Amino acid sequence: MISTRFPVGLFSRLFLSSVFLCSAPLAMADNFNAFTAESFEEIKSSFEGREFLLGLWSVDCPPCMVELAFMAELVKLNPSIPYVLVSTDPISQRDYSAEFLEDIGLAEKESWIFADSFAERLRFSIDPNWYGELPRSYFFDSDHAMKSHSGIVSEELLIEWFKKTLHFR
Amino acid sequence: MKLALTNMAAISLLSIASASIAAANDCNDTHPSSPVSIHCGDAPSAVFDNKGRLWVAFVQDQYVYVSYSENLGKSYSVPVAVNSEPENVEYNGENRPKIIVDANSKIFISWTKKTSPRFTGEIRFSRSNDGGKTFEAPRTINDDGLFAGHRFESLYLTESGHLYITWIDKRDLEASIKRGENYTGAAIYYAVSTDQGASFSANYRVANNSCECCRIAIAPHGAENIAILWRQIFGVTTRDHAIAVLTPEGTTQEMNRASYDEWQIDACPHHGPTMIQSKLSGDYHISWFTNGDLHQGIYYARYSFDEGKPQHVFRVDGRAGAGHPHLGEYAETLYLVWKGFDGQSTNLSLIKSIDDGASWTDPRILFSTAQGSDHPLIVSGNDGLYLSWHTQEMGYVFEKITANEEVQPGD
Repeated sequence: MISTRFPVGLFSRLFLSSVFLCSAPLAMADNFNAFTAESFEEIKSSFEGREFLLGLWSVDCPPCMVELAFMAELVKLNPSIPYVLVSTDPISQRDYSAEFLEDIGLAEKESWIFADSFAERLRFSIDPNWYGELPRSYFFDSDHAMKSHSGIVSEELLIEWFKKTLHFR
Repeated sequence: MKLALTNMAAISLLSIASASIAAANDCNDTHPSSPVSIHCGDAPSAVFDNKGRLWVAFVQDQYVYVSYSENLGKSYSVPVAVNSEPENVEYNGENRPKIIVDANSKIFISWTKKTSPRFTGEIRFSRSNDGGKTFEAPRTINDDGLFAGHRFESLYLTESGHLYITWIDKRDLEASIKRGENYTGAAIYYAVSTDQGASFSANYRVANNSCECCRIAIAPHGAENIAILWRQIFGVTTRDHAIAVLTPEGTTQEMNRASYDEWQIDACPHHGPTMIQSKLSGDYHISWFTNGDLHQGIYYARYSFDEGKPQHVFRVDGRAGAGHPHLGEYAETLYLVWKGFDGQSTNLSLIKSIDDGASWTDPRILFSTAQGSDHPLIVSGNDGLYLSWHTQEMGYVFEKITANEEVQPGD
């Protein structure tokens, strides 16, 4: 349950920050890469021999925001953590998604966005057993053995993974 | 026998494909000057009026459009915009504009308008009193005046003429946050019109702690009540389904759990259920997607309010990539369509039951496409059931799914 893991204060802070930031929508440059059916392999190659975390999200998914907010705090403490974001929003709506990442403090991390309206094919390219539920996270070890998680990843699990895998404190 | 059916399906597929690929080719996703049409628009809904005219509502460039066809979808009238000012109309497989035409040719339209801040929206309603030539200025049906989430609306007209709108509402979540209290998920709300959409009742709450992002299914329950089926959060994180009866007076009756899948998930599944009432038994045919501890895949069950539990639970498709079932009934035969993805193509499959859901035929693939597509819907006509399916490759597919069956001897 969201509320047992994340204080309500965090949720309401999130909500308030979006009230203010949303009132003045600005077109901004983003660092989205176009995610196609080949992109997953590309991402894996770029992390060859290394651990990384792939986080799938959408602007249409309230629980994603809880996870992203926590990840933003983690990234703030450890800017170099190998965390790659993939938005399942259509690339035609990239401004909206970019604004989101900007607000939440994750605009600097490596980011991809779905760039094929045949979303089933993109989902399949990552994991045939993913049904589209969000948030969805994939933990990769250095051999790229993949462990998936549907729903908000608990703070404990994330910290444990980062500590164990990457020796962060 | 199977071979014959498959061939017939293939032939009908080819003829439709050649006709509508041309229509789809006129559309350009990235170019704003695509012609306004059901083929180029998104997330359509369809309904027949009592004269057999097909009506469709769809979204294109921040407008909801309505168009009709006199020839079962071969051609459509020039679309008429429902909203005169552009608005951020939400559209996707789970959330699309709804359309109903009553016996007096009044046209009712509902949709969700996205508003700032994020995840917020308003439930919008408009109607036409002149057979679709013009539409009234859209009204907002949620009455809390909050910039809160009001989304995933569904619209239903009962035999008695009561017009219901149900939706997922976050006003109680917002109130809890203000009080510093926890609140899991969202809530289900509804409103009723007893004057053909001229006015609506106050908003009534059905249940707290619903899932936030799945469509709500509606079926009749007697002449003026409705039954609704939605994804509900049971306990802490179990996102299975609940069913309830709603009355025009705003009371909720017979609320009960309808599926037992034990899907423990803190996420948005984006997979809403489908439901129709059986003409044979008066029970409810329900179908849904789950990835729970007990069940994984698309399921069917027959729910009886008398028994208070799902029966004849049947796994429709447990393969990865299967989802978004939709039910229809014609001539005491039950039809279920859904989508699957095999790694290359999306296949649209059909199964049937002639014994009120106790047993089912083997699946038959009706269509296949290697491009993007909407969720499939079944639309009831006087002479059978039709598939309503928007695809990138073929444009809008509106095709009878009962006709070929009836001419097959021994089927």
